[in-house]
Amino acid sequence: MAKTKNRKRVSVDHIQKKRQEKGAKKTLNPFEMHINKEKMRVLGKKLKNERGLPGVSRAKAIKKRKGTLLSEYKLQHKSNKFTDRRIGEKGHAPDEDKIMARFAALRAKAHNRKNIFNLADDEVLTHKGQTLSEIEKFDDPKSDEEESEDENKTGKLDSNFVENAHFGGGVLSKTGQEGAKNHKQLIEQLIEESKKRKAEKQRIKEATEELTEKLDTEWKDLVQIVKPNKKNEELVEKAQLNDYDKMIRELRFEARGTVSDRLKTEEEIAKEEKEKLEMLEQERLDRMKGATETGPQRPNHRSADDLDDGFVYESDFEENILSYDKDGVAKVQVTAEFKGKPIVPESELEATNSNNEEEENPDSDQDSNCDEQENSDVEQDEDNSNDEEKMESDSEDSLADLKKDESSDDSESEKEDDNKPSGQDIIAKSKRKLEISNDNNAKKVKLSENTLSTSERLELEKAGNDLPFTFKLPETYEALVKMFENRSIAHQKVILERMIKCNHPSLSQGNKNGLGLLFVYVLQYINDLFTDTENDVHLKQSFHTFSSLTPYIFELAQLNPENTHNSVLEVLKEKHQEFRKKKKKYAGLEVLVYLKLVSLLFSTSDFRHQIVTPCFMFIEQMLKFCRVKTAQDIAYGLFLCTLVLEYTALSKRVLPLTIVYLAGILHMAIPKTSVKLIKICPPFKPLASDLVLTSDKTSLSTLNSKLNVSYLIQSEVTDEFKIVALLLTLRLLNDFIENLKDLPSSVEIFEPINKFLIQIPMEFYPKLVRDEYKRVCDSLEKLQSERKLEYLVLEAKKPKALRLYEPKIVEIYDIKRRKVQSKEKAEREKLMHKLKKETKGALREIRRDKAFLARVKINERIQSDKERRARVNKLYAEAANQQSELNAMDRKNKRKK
Amino acid sequence: MSQNDKSGKISKILRQKAQEFLNSLDNTSILMEILKHLESGSDTASCLLAIDMIFSNMLRDGRMCVEIFALKGSEKTAETARAKMLQNIYEQCFKGIVEYINNDNVKIAMQGLSSAMNLLGLEGKNPTNIYMNETENYFPLNKFKMILMKLLSDKRNNSVLINKQTEYLLFDDIMFYTWKLLPSLTAKSNPNEFYIMNYLLLLEKLQISPHSHTKYLCYNDNSVQMTFDEVLIKKNLNRIWPCIMVWDHSIETHRQLLVVLLEKVLLHLDRPLLLTDFLMDSLDVGGPVSLLALQGIFTMIQVHNLDYPNIFSKLYSMFEPEIFHTKYKARLFYLADLFLSSTHLPEMLVAAFAKRLARLALLAPSEDIIIICQFIGNLILRHQGLKYLLHNTNGITASTDPYIMEESDPNKSNATRSSLWELRSLQSHVQPSVANAAKFISSPLPSVEWDIGKILENSGDDIFDKEIKKLSKLIVLHFERPTNGMSLSRGEKLHSFWEFT
Repeated sequence: MAKTKNRKRVSVDHIQKKRQEKGAKKTLNPFEMHINKEKMRVLGKKLKNERGLPGVSRAKAIKKRKGTLLSEYKLQHKSNKFTDRRIGEKGHAPDEDKIMARFAALRAKAHNRKNIFNLADDEVLTHKGQTLSEIEKFDDPKSDEEESEDENKTGKLDSNFVENAHFGGGVLSKTGQEGAKNHKQLIEQLIEESKKRKAEKQRIKEATEELTEKLDTEWKDLVQIVKPNKKNEELVEKAQLNDYDKMIRELRFEARGTVSDRLKTEEEIAKEEKEKLEMLEQERLDRMKGATETGPQRPNHRSADDLDDGFVYESDFEENILSYDKDGVAKVQVTAEFKGKPIVPESELEATNSNNEEEENPDSDQDSNCDEQENSDVEQDEDNSNDEEKMESDSEDSLADLKKDESSDDSESEKEDDNKPSGQDIIAKSKRKLEISNDNNAKKVKLSENTLSTSERLELEKAGNDLPFTFKLPETYEALVKMFENRSIAHQKVILERMIKCNHPSLSQGNKNGLGLLFVYVLQYINDLFTDTENDVHLKQSFHTFSSLTPYIFELAQLNPENTHNSVLEVLKEKHQEFRKKKKKYAGLEVLVYLKLVSLLFSTSDFRHQIVTPCFMFIEQMLKFCRVKTAQDIAYGLFLCTLVLEYTALSKRVLPLTIVYLAGILHMAIPKTSVKLIKICPPFKPLASDLVLTSDKTSLSTLNSKLNVSYLIQSEVTDEFKIVALLLTLRLLNDFIENLKDLPSSVEIFEPINKFLIQIPMEFYPKLVRDEYKRVCDSLEKLQSERKLEYLVLEAKKPKALRLYEPKIVEIYDIKRRKVQSKEKAEREKLMHKLKKETKGALREIRRDKAFLARVKINERIQSDKERRARVNKLYAEAANQQSELNAMDRKNKRKK
Repeated sequence: MSQNDKSGKISKILRQKAQEFLNSLDNTSILMEILKHLESGSDTASCLLAIDMIFSNMLRDGRMCVEIFALKGSEKTAETARAKMLQNIYEQCFKGIVEYINNDNVKIAMQGLSSAMNLLGLEGKNPTNIYMNETENYFPLNKFKMILMKLLSDKRNNSVLINKQTEYLLFDDIMFYTWKLLPSLTAKSNPNEFYIMNYLLLLEKLQISPHSHTKYLCYNDNSVQMTFDEVLIKKNLNRIWPCIMVWDHSIETHRQLLVVLLEKVLLHLDRPLLLTDFLMDSLDVGGPVSLLALQGIFTMIQVHNLDYPNIFSKLYSMFEPEIFHTKYKARLFYLADLFLSSTHLPEMLVAAFAKRLARLALLAPSEDIIIICQFIGNLILRHQGLKYLLHNTNGITASTDPYIMEESDPNKSNATRSSLWELRSLQSHVQPSVANAAKFISSPLPSVEWDIGKILENSGDDIFDKEIKKLSKLIVLHFERPTNGMSLSRGEKLHSFWEFT
């Protein structure tokens, strides 16, 4: 610290001094300046020797020589010299400064690294809280002398000696001896002592070694006597410890439990699950928007320094640019999050609630709910399978119950979730869920008690017990069919479930492929189920089987996604090839089932999906080409439309041909006269009026709002079918309108519907249909009235920034011609040139030195001559004086004489 | 099997007999036997084959050859007498064979035709009557006329036979003599539909200039070159065409007529402008006929300076939802592209077209939407003024689309005040290729037009294959377990509309 400060001060002083000097020098005498004349002036050329100060520079040179050459000259022929190196002697500083500088240097020396631990003189030293001075005064200086007796034996120096020799003795322990022993003696004593000590050490060591050797030899003799006995003992011991040792070793080499995460609590699991689902949902939404849409995402904000090279340093900058529209409302929507939930203004919340409901659904509890539902369903389905006809109505009831439960549960949980998603809530929820499931179970039990005896349930359980617990994966498709043959649906389910469980991919290497094969076989099984179905019962049975096998198919698909993907793709290809041969004919029922399966297994909302997109094409082609004649055809087409609706339920995309198809169905329900043709596109015929209701059916009471699958194989168009088909069409339309209402040209899309709708006479239809009809009409009207078309505006082109070019650096043109030669040569040339120049300079300097010396010598000569002359003159003067005095004395003597 | 065996056996026997007859020419009874068998009706094809074999051998060997000297007649020897007799039989047989061309059985008819043509060719090469002093090449014109008459039958559609005939039309002499005979075969009054159809089909196959590889059926290649008289052919064409035009045409023949007209005839007519009325009338027929007429008119406008102001409204009215289900869709788009390729058309008109196409796209199958999108893109590229359809900065909002779809006059359809909302809607089409095609409206337009020609013939199958082949590493499964048997946890529709029990 002190050092640096000092230095600083010095530097400041230095600078000031320099500045002062400069100021003094600056006043130049113009008469001292000499200007060198040039013959030719070149613009921009800087000359070093344009002007000079000959006087000044000469004085400088002389001064310099005086310092160097002159002093050398003066010391010439002299063997010794004095140099005063004391601090401050070099310059001509005043005495006070000299003293100060010397003191400072002394202090600084005391602070160097070695001496830093030496105690300063002026600091008060303490020992055990007492100042040393006090101890010196009152303590007995020889207090630790008592223990020194023992120490002496260890060969250490005598404490007395140490005290005296090393520390020069205490202040108070000064004895008369001191004077007697001078330093040399002391050292000698020291050396003597240490030598003695070393010798002693050596002796002791040798003695010990001798003893050890002796012991060893003696031991060897003893060993022979002792050995045999000991061996026996050891053996016994070994036998005894065998088990124990083994155990110990085993325990030692046993894999130790590594430190792992603690088990997660239920809440954490739930939370994780939820997060995972949310992430998956987010991914799904991203895919729905399509990669191409997000691809060239350009940031709104552009820096002034943007080089147009696509470099963006902050991607989510755009959201934070505050701007206002005409009304002064901020355009930026600030999305704040509170505990992971976005905060939305209430009005907006209400508006978006309906949309969000779907989005937010994948909550943890819902999923677990699903699981539970599934479990219960499994049971339920098993029930169903055994006695179908009996259970029909009941099962539907229970399903409805379940659905209601689910929805209410969802909404409740959601509400709570919005408010405070805390751990307690989740616990409460899970409790509630438990209750609900209990409730369900109770209901089910009641149901089963009501409808069928417990024996049925028992049989189910028995089904589980009857079957072996492990199943091998089938090697061929025939094996699977054989396994499923003559088994009830419940059995089939159990078999499939156990197959998956017993051959889980985590259990063995080949299982993954095996399960992949199983998936293919199950697909084939479904294919065979649905081909060649003639009667209702069989069809319904098949659908039921499919429905109950679906969860396991899903499971299988999840286990081996690639295989699923490939096999479904293959099936699709095959089916499409078949369809291509006969484009007028609908593909088989199994295609419908496969298409449904696609929506179950794959994410249909993606912008582009390798399976779903071809499926759309397939459906579209079927809707475009296939003839519409029988009830079967119409039902098939409607099924396809339903599938399209299902596929697009989340993504809200549009497939125009579905709307055209539905319009065609409506067209078939319009009574036509041959005079007035209503135009319609193929495959519909302009004169087709198969769905026209001719008799009054308003009184029809038992009308099912759903279309039964049995129509898929029934070719005759009955009155009931006419009504139900129309009803289904209307309901589908309603959903489509709801789905597509956000599209800017939704009205135009539904234009043909509107056109045909008003031509259908409704008087014969039951009330249910008429209500639905009215609803469609209303929503179409609403669509028309509420539409707001904003004119298209192209995205603003981003202005092209001027390109910034790299600065072009050109070598400065030099008039001098340079020889073209190798580098070494050039270097050498350069050096030679320099050498020449330096030699010249040195010669000049030497000349000047000589001149200087000559001048000095002549001056000295002149000086000494002058002195001699003065001395001679003085001598002459004295001699003359003497002579004059002599003369005077002579004259006096003469006179006296 | 047995049938085949039997016929095989019979044909074998017949061949044997034919060989026998050829060995001993006097034994005409064998020939008679074969002819009788032919008349009996069974195994006609093999009988024809046998007869064909017999006579072709005889012609090749020159056994029926009679040398006739000018003014002298032939020598009266036993040989010539026999040759004469054989000639008579040959003539008869040939007539018989030609009769079989109109047989109901296609196979027999084909056999008849090929036999007849075969014999015709051989006779051309080895004429039966050699006129010693004549240098001109002999062509059995009468026999050929008989064959053509049978081809142009008014009883049935002979399209198969006429297709077969194209093989023979590759020979320059057959082509030339067909042209030569055509005027005499053309019906003057109203013939029936079959005749017209056959006639037009044959006409379609004919061509006016000789083939680059000269081949003759009836002449040896080393003999004197025949002159292929193009001037005569053109004269004949101009002679027959007015006759054809005045016939009563059904829609089918009308279409065929237009096809022939466009592909073959129009270029060679002396005064094509006379066709204008006919084309105008055809334009009003609707469907493919009017499309063909449109193409004809386009050629007339382009080549012959016809001025027809109403052409665009005609074209405009042809864009109806039905076009997507017709075969001539690609041609229509091609023609429309051609018609609207001029950059000097009024913007109002082009805007109406763009808007109408956009409306149609809302009802169209995926593959056609792609075409339409690119078509509209091209229109906008050609007419920079149409940008307001994409870029309207007025900031106003409309409640309804000002464009009137029902208006038949494109200039009154109000399209200029509209905007292409349809394409914005189609951006959310289920097919990613379609959605991407509709996306051009939201980004700056490219500087080069889209090449529509490449995609005009695309079908749904192509899109299907393309999507199937599109390899993506990403395999996306549904992450939500199906809840209730086979119903989705979200967006389940099937269960709410269908009853499975």
